[in-house]
Amino acid sequence: MKTAVAFLAVIVLTVLCASSGMAQKAQANALVADLSKDQIRVASNFTGERILLFGAIEGTSPAGASDVVVVVRGPSENFTLRRKKRMAGIWVNAEARTLGPLPGYYAVASTRALADIAPVSERAKHQIGPKYLRFSLVSQTPEAATPPASPGDIALYHDSFVRIKSGQNLYSVDPSGVSIIADRLFRAELTLPSGLPFGTYITEFFLFEKGRVVGYQTGELSVTITGLEQWLRVTAHEMPLLYGLFGVFIAGLMGWGVAILFRRV
Amino acid sequence: MQIYLPIAEISANFMTLIGMGGLVGFMSGMFGVGGGFLMTPLLIFIGIPPAVAVASEANQIVASSVSGGLAHWRRRAIDIRMGVILMSGGVAGSYAGVQLFKLLRALGQVDLLISSSYVIFLSVIGALMLRESLHAIRETRKGRPIRVRRPGQHSWILRLPLRMRFRQSRLYISIIPPLLIGFLVGMLSAIMGVGGGFIMVPAMIYLLRMPTNVVIGTSLFQIIFVTSAVTVLHAVENQTVDIVLAVLLMIGGVIGAQFGAIAGQRLRGEELRALLALIVLGVACKLMLDLVVEPAELFSIQRLEVGP
Repeated sequence: MKTAVAFLAVIVLTVLCASSGMAQKAQANALVADLSKDQIRVASNFTGERILLFGAIEGTSPAGASDVVVVVRGPSENFTLRRKKRMAGIWVNAEARTLGPLPGYYAVASTRALADIAPVSERAKHQIGPKYLRFSLVSQTPEAATPPASPGDIALYHDSFVRIKSGQNLYSVDPSGVSIIADRLFRAELTLPSGLPFGTYITEFFLFEKGRVVGYQTGELSVTITGLEQWLRVTAHEMPLLYGLFGVFIAGLMGWGVAILFRRV
Repeated sequence: MQIYLPIAEISANFMTLIGMGGLVGFMSGMFGVGGGFLMTPLLIFIGIPPAVAVASEANQIVASSVSGGLAHWRRRAIDIRMGVILMSGGVAGSYAGVQLFKLLRALGQVDLLISSSYVIFLSVIGALMLRESLHAIRETRKGRPIRVRRPGQHSWILRLPLRMRFRQSRLYISIIPPLLIGFLVGMLSAIMGVGGGFIMVPAMIYLLRMPTNVVIGTSLFQIIFVTSAVTVLHAVENQTVDIVLAVLLMIGGVIGAQFGAIAGQRLRGEELRALLALIVLGVACKLMLDLVVEPAELFSIQRLEVGP
């Protein structure tokens, strides 16, 4: 149903663009895009959500010459990565490094493999692909024992970060995630998993031709927690004493209720 | 049905959590133990962050000890004065435990602290229980009455200064041993997310020589306050109490405990204890293996708190 509505929107959009004669854009090729939803609300029953990213390519380039890349990027944070090593027979966290800022969520979808769309320099410039995300090592890790990082180390930590995030479905690369219809319309479907970080997400749409960006649009998507969960989360972090007492109160009440309910005379 | 746990920051299956609460509740009702020492490892096994598992389980134990404690309160089977002394030590111990927990959490070693505490305590207690119950089973088979082993004299400990009269327990002893026992159990409670009855009850019988009829009630009485303190302290210092998780476990636990108590009356005591000992040793083995076998993923991520 949502998909149908979105498609309708795409068609309307295309018609509008065509009728206005694309006069507003100086660029020969460009794209207009939108998403089916710009607000994701995480409630207690949240198990993930599908969003549709869609739009139209404006331009006069020959059929099949354009590629579209869609990037969705969550709020940036710093992350501490720990590496286990065997010590006295058991595996313990032995090394730690803090990387950041890196997005807590990152997804890229494209019409074909990224390597075929654009050269490394162009992808690195626009931070397309988890490999090309720019970050730095944040030095204030509490572990003094960790030796200084070599470039190989940084790569190892970054790769591990991407691997773990991919395992949680929070980082993804889909080389066939964007489909182009009739050389004009494009659409990409993305499943946002549970465990999403909260905050403002950036959506980016790139139109590539001959390995160069010829059209670009950006937008926002907000992921918020709602309802009882939000109240609990906010209270837990901002009024922790009250939250703790509330937890004890609930437990006391339940324990007392049970004692009354199951009282055997 | 999935439910989002706001502090653990993961979705878990609603029925799995209730079911686990029920299973552990059933066993605690059947064996007459608290069950925290089984629940916390189970939560860790299903992927709840260990720090959240410990703090939320402490919160759940508040509920189970209140309902258990009230039953003993009605029978006047609680030595309030002793309970208050144990609890004073316990609250101090839980403060120390939470501080240690916080320190090691910042160093990334809290999971190791939790796992190794469990491995040590579960294997020692499991082994002792297994030995004792197997011995009892053998004796009953031979038709001999089970002799209740009287412990050795520890009276010098009880004759330390700062003596106090405990009317309900018919004791006149120093308050230093109960304070120390309380402190130790409070610390374990904060680190392991347990009530600590499995240490407290034997300590009360064998070290403090309290009469058995007030032991369970007094233990539950002090557990209520110590686990409450642990819950509040973890909430304040570490923000790891997940109330949604705790409430789901409470619901399951309550129902399970009722059925467990019925089932427990139909089984023989020694065999029950041997079974529990095997379960305890099994959990200890699993935790031990997780420490020793090379993990599939050597790296772990922790989001840095971007708080005010």
